[in-house]
Amino acid sequence: MSTRRLKRVEKASTTLSRFVSRAMLAASVIAVAAFAHPAFAQDLAPLSANPSKQGAVVKQAEQTPPGEDQGVYSDPLAPFNESMFTFNLKLDDWVLRPVATGYAAIAPLPVRQSVGRFFDNVNVIPRFANNLFQLRMPEAGTEVARFGINTVLGLGFFDPAETWFGLKEHPDDFGLTLRYYGVPSGPYLMLPFFGPSTVTDTVGMVVDAAMNPMTYLTYIADVPWYVPTAVGAGTRIADAVNYRSEHLDMFEEADRYAVDLYGAVQDAYLQTRDHKVKELKESD
Amino acid sequence: MLHTTTTNSVNRGHALAIVLFLIGALLAAPSIARADAPANDPMAVVKDGVNEALPILRDKQTPTPVRQQKLREIVARSFDFSEMARSALGYHWRQISPDQQQEFTKVFSTFIENSYLAKINEFTSGEVRFLSVRNDGPQYAIVKTSVLMAGKDPIDLDFRLLDKNGQWKVYDVTVDAISIIANYRNQFNRVMNNKGYATLIADLKSKEAALAASMGT
Repeated sequence: MSTRRLKRVEKASTTLSRFVSRAMLAASVIAVAAFAHPAFAQDLAPLSANPSKQGAVVKQAEQTPPGEDQGVYSDPLAPFNESMFTFNLKLDDWVLRPVATGYAAIAPLPVRQSVGRFFDNVNVIPRFANNLFQLRMPEAGTEVARFGINTVLGLGFFDPAETWFGLKEHPDDFGLTLRYYGVPSGPYLMLPFFGPSTVTDTVGMVVDAAMNPMTYLTYIADVPWYVPTAVGAGTRIADAVNYRSEHLDMFEEADRYAVDLYGAVQDAYLQTRDHKVKELKESD
Repeated sequence: MLHTTTTNSVNRGHALAIVLFLIGALLAAPSIARADAPANDPMAVVKDGVNEALPILRDKQTPTPVRQQKLREIVARSFDFSEMARSALGYHWRQISPDQQQEFTKVFSTFIENSYLAKINEFTSGEVRFLSVRNDGPQYAIVKTSVLMAGKDPIDLDFRLLDKNGQWKVYDVTVDAISIIANYRNQFNRVMNNKGYATLIADLKSKEAALAASMGT
C-alpha cells in the first residue's frame, strides 16, 4: 500500500516536472515569437514621436504644453479591438449587468464588498511573487503577512491587516514586472471577456494565472482536467459579477462624458498602467 | 548724571528697537516678496480657487443651479478654456479653420464645465490637501492636491497650469493620474481620423445637450 502510494507520488512528481519543463519551453517559444514580431516592436509611442509611421506630419507648435503629445496612441490592432470592445459591451449589456443588478438587489453592499475582499485575498500569490520579482522585499513580506492576518482573523472577508495593523496592499502583476524591467507595452489589445490590455499585459496575465495552484490539480491528483478549468472560470465569473455589482453605473457614467467611448477606455487604461510603471520605477 | 543715564538708556532702547526691526524685516522679507506677486504663484491660484469653491460645494441648502452659477464664475477666472480646447485637439487644431476653432472652443468649454458642475452633488463632505507645486518647463507648473472624503479612498487631483502674460491659469486636470485633456485628445484624434470634424462637432454638441438637459439648465 505504502509503496504504491510512494510510486504514485513519484509518478505525479515526474509528470509535474515534465509539465513544468514543457510549459517553460512553450513560454519561451511564445516569448521569442512575440518579441520578434514587428508589431510588438512598435511601442505605444505618441504620434509626435513617430510621425513617419502615422503618415501624418506632426509639427509641434512653439510653446507646446508638456504632455501635449500624451494621449494619442498608435493602435495597429484597432479593427480587432473595436469589434471586441463592441462584443464586451453587448456581453455586459445582455448578461453581466442584468446578473449583477439582480445580485445587488439580493445582497447588500457590505456583503458584496466582503466578497470582493475575499477574491482579493485569494489572489495573493501573483501579488507576492511579482513584488518579489521586482525585489521589493518589504512589500512581498507585507503581502504574506496580510494574507495570514486576513485569512485567520478576517476569514478572508474582512481586512483587519489594514484596519488594525495598518498593512496596506501592494498590487502588482507580471505585466508590471515586465514593464518594470524595460519591456515595451506592445500594441493595445482589447480582450474578449477580460477587457482592455496590451500585448505585454496579456502575457503577464497568462503568467499570473499559471501561478494559481488550482491549475496543477490535474497533474498532482486524479482530478479530471475540466474540474480546475470550470472552477477557475467560475471564480472569474463570480469575481466579475461581484465587481460589476459594486460599480453598476460604470459604463453609463463613462459614456455620459465621452465622445468616443472606445478612445476614452483605451486612454484611461494606458494612462493608468503607464502611471503604475512610473510609480514602480520611481519608488526604487 | 541722571540726565546722561536717561539719554543713554533711551539711545540703547532705540538701538535695540532698530535691531529688532531689522531682524523682523529680514525674517519677513520672503513673505513680503511673495505677497507682492500673488498672480505669479501657481499654488496661490489653485488654493484661492479651491478655498473659494469648497464652501459652495459643502453648502447643501442653496439650490444647485445657484451654486453652479457661483462655481462657474470661479472656474471662468482660473481656467484657460481656449488652451484646453486647443490642447485637446492636438495637431488637428491647425487643420481646421479659425471659425471652426472658435466654434469648437465654445462647445468644448461648455461641455467640460458642465461635466464638472453636473457632479457637484457627489461631493459630500471632505477636505483638500495642497501637497506640492513643481515647475514643468519655463511657463508650466503642476500643483498636486489630494481630495479626502469620508468613507472613500483619497483622490489624487493635480492641476496643470500655464503662465500666460503673467497670469497662471489651469489648462488640465489630472484625476488619479488620468489627464482629462489627454483622454479627450485620444477620443478626438480617433473621431477626427475616422470621421472628420463635422462628426466630431455634431457628437460633441449632442453630448453637451444631453448633459445640459440632465442638469436642468
